[in-house]
Amino acid sequence: MKNHLRDLRDLHAWSQGELAEHLDVSRQTVNAIETGKYDPSLPLAFRIAKLFRQPIESIFEPGKD
Amino acid sequence: MSRFMLSHYRRNVFLLMAAYLVLLLLLWPLTKSTSSLPLKAAYTLLPVLPMIAMLWLIARRVMDSDELQQRVHLIALSTATGVVSAASLAGGFLCATHVVELDGDVLVWIMPGLALVYAATRWLIARRYGGLGCA
Repeated sequence: MKNHLRDLRDLHAWSQGELAEHLDVSRQTVNAIETGKYDPSLPLAFRIAKLFRQPIESIFEPGKD
Repeated sequence: MSRFMLSHYRRNVFLLMAAYLVLLLLLWPLTKSTSSLPLKAAYTLLPVLPMIAMLWLIARRVMDSDELQQRVHLIALSTATGVVSAASLAGGFLCATHVVELDGDVLVWIMPGLALVYAATRWLIARRYGGLGCA
């Protein structure tokens, strides 16, 4: 699954650590999501969408199967 | 887990390990010299208490982790349980058929074995996700 988390974080000029604090996860988890190594759970994806005030589908895109 | 909680956790682990070692070093010689069975059992089992407290600490650490960290903990714990269970089963069968001679002392190695496989697997899985720091 692709995502635009890094672009959104850059727009807010947040570090990974700051975004992690907003989402109540570790910085390493934010890094793993941004680099596509980990797909977040639905509740975490909703938290991300709520934080950036965007629909989930505009942040996350399905990858090629 | 926040940096403060992590340092708090590490301090508690250090204190519990120190308590374990002190109890072991102080009480183990007493188990050989005492003739009272209840006292001997108490001396033998007292060092287990700090280890139980440490298991509780580890469980709390896992519960306080985020979803990716919990996933890594779960995979590592499952792997450790599987490896040590398979080794115990194989050892038990070999002992039952008298291929190897083992006594009860070998049970002492189950917990260190679990910890070792758990730590190695956690490190490997965490690397796959780009490293999870000390979480």
